[in-house]
Amino acid sequence: MKRKTIAGLVGAVLGAAVVAAPAHAQDVKIGLMAAISGPIAALAPPMAAASKLAVAHVNEQGGILNGGKLEAVLGDSACNPQNATDTATKAVNIDRVLAIVGPACSGAVLATANSVAVPAGVLLITPSGTSPEITKLADKDLVFRTLPSDDYQGRALARTLKARGIEKVAVAYLNNDYGKGLAESFKAEFEANGGTLAGYSGHEEGKASYRSELATLARGGADTLVIFDYGDGTGLTILRQSLENGFFKTFVGADGMKSEGLVKSIGAQNLDGFFVSAPVGEASASLDNFNKAYKAAGENIDAVFATTSYDAAFLAALAIEKAGGDKAKLAESLRAVAMAPGEPIMAGEWAKAKQLIAEGKDIDYKGAGGDHEFDAAGDVPGKYAFFKVSGTGYESVADMQ
Amino acid sequence: MDLLGLANYAVFMAILIGIYALLALGLNIQWGFTGLFNAGIAGFFAVGAYASAILTSLPASGRLGGYELPLVVGWLAAMAAAALIAWPIGKICLRFRSDYLAIATIGVAEIIRLVIRTEGWLTGGVRGVTGIPRPFGDLDYMPSQIAYLAIVATLVLVAYLLVERQVKSPWGRMMRAIRDNELAAAAMGKQVEARRLQAFVFGSALMGLAGALFVHFNRSVTPEAIDPMIATFLIWIMLILGGSGNNRGAILGAAVIWIIWSVSELLTDRLPTEVAVQAKYARVFIIGLTLQLVLRFRPEGILPERQPGAPPHR
Repeated sequence: MKRKTIAGLVGAVLGAAVVAAPAHAQDVKIGLMAAISGPIAALAPPMAAASKLAVAHVNEQGGILNGGKLEAVLGDSACNPQNATDTATKAVNIDRVLAIVGPACSGAVLATANSVAVPAGVLLITPSGTSPEITKLADKDLVFRTLPSDDYQGRALARTLKARGIEKVAVAYLNNDYGKGLAESFKAEFEANGGTLAGYSGHEEGKASYRSELATLARGGADTLVIFDYGDGTGLTILRQSLENGFFKTFVGADGMKSEGLVKSIGAQNLDGFFVSAPVGEASASLDNFNKAYKAAGENIDAVFATTSYDAAFLAALAIEKAGGDKAKLAESLRAVAMAPGEPIMAGEWAKAKQLIAEGKDIDYKGAGGDHEFDAAGDVPGKYAFFKVSGTGYESVADMQ
Repeated sequence: MDLLGLANYAVFMAILIGIYALLALGLNIQWGFTGLFNAGIAGFFAVGAYASAILTSLPASGRLGGYELPLVVGWLAAMAAAALIAWPIGKICLRFRSDYLAIATIGVAEIIRLVIRTEGWLTGGVRGVTGIPRPFGDLDYMPSQIAYLAIVATLVLVAYLLVERQVKSPWGRMMRAIRDNELAAAAMGKQVEARRLQAFVFGSALMGLAGALFVHFNRSVTPEAIDPMIATFLIWIMLILGGSGNNRGAILGAAVIWIIWSVSELLTDRLPTEVAVQAKYARVFIIGLTLQLVLRFRPEGILPERQPGAPPHR
């Protein structure tokens, strides 16, 4: 340890003496911090594939800066802060990346932003960290995300229910950052608008029966149960057991509950009173572009966070192009290329974007996963719609405000 | 790859090695000298982490905290909290022999993790605690890392010297006696249970300090950080590889394992992209393989235990 320390210090002194030479080579690297091992390992390969697709689009259509190649450095953030900071430190210091796409989990995003990306002045865009804590980071405007904070959806859902005349609900949420984040923002907004929560409780994943929890919630006297859970997992069990026992009449879920497997499993005829909120992409042409290319790459277009991963990598590349490779200008360049006004750019239109940037024109990237109009904290507002079950799938009933 | 970047990376690695070295030293007191199989390191790490986080962080709505106390208070409180949690656990569980104690401590760590996840008023729940100060955190990237390394290195050195002094004293000999032959030690009038409890509490306090150092480095803590893989089993591997019963071995083991863990990713990055995703698992395999090889060919670890007065091994 002591020797290591001394070696580190000597290295530091030597390093400080050598001024970091600006990169003359035109090749540019970005880091992809996917959670390859760890609890969400199943989500990582499609996310990494989507980000790599964006990199491939850049390289196929003229490359980055003066014909350089964009290279993606794949790191394993393992969904925990120890591995995420380690892999990000390597990406920033050894591979000299200009931007990081990821990490995937919110806790890893917080740690990486605090101890690596922000001190080192590297842009960080997470495609899947949804914790509202990320909004509050003192990040020198370097931390962005391409999907809305859980806060938006919970609040929008609360307002929608109020507007539909529902005054009293019970809430059952899965006790993880997704379920709890939604439940808390829903609760705050619903109560602020004069609604009543007749029950509010979290549950753990994977139990065989939730009847006792549901019975407790039903005792509050509400007709509507709001479920913040996953429709392919525990949420299905909860919905089925509520229906079987007649605990509630109406059920409302968030995007995690919008599952076609759920409709198939319970049957559309039993789901008259089931509604979900889910994000809707506005720039559908952009989403079509992405879906076509992603399918051609042999991936499943329904993969979670695929569109946001693509957009995060594409935006990072656009920002680097706009900034001319200058690290100090990345944040303002990202805002310039992602936000209105400007010539709209769809997913996959790298050559057009490059051309416009070279001509000095303003562009506005309309991503596959949303418009990405960042607010002051680097968050994007979500566009949500309210869906009901129709046939084997879902049909939009109303837009949510 | 340039020198400045390499140095930054080296400093970062050294900080994490220092934090893991504290954990390994704590475990060495418990396992190396006293023979207590603590498989719940993550729990004590978490208690220290959250204790310091709550006491020193900025105010936030919806959870306890925002006392903005000085860091030193937070770190002392981290050690005290971990020790306080360890005391009743030890009181109940230390009557079990080794493997039963392992099961009990795994359970305790899991309970602590679930309490942290669910009791949002105390710990911020799954969202964790943010706004934790980092000493010298306002400096630039490299000076700030070096300053933090200096703090961690000092604390590791102090912990090492104190533990070393303690185990060289009659107390240390007594602990070894209890470890090697409990009945004989009891027959000689040593209070076996009280001594084991002491070792359990001391070791846990060091683990709590490591937790505090970790959260101040990252300025945030979430339950994701108390994954048993990275906060319990990795430390066991470090201690076994370095040499349990030898404090230098514990520190060396932390360094070797963390360097293998971290640097092996740089090597797998050189593989073609088609296998890059699978290759990330190779380092988990390398760690496992290293442990197997050590247990097969050098079960006493790289630096074996030195018995005071005994001729060196070999």
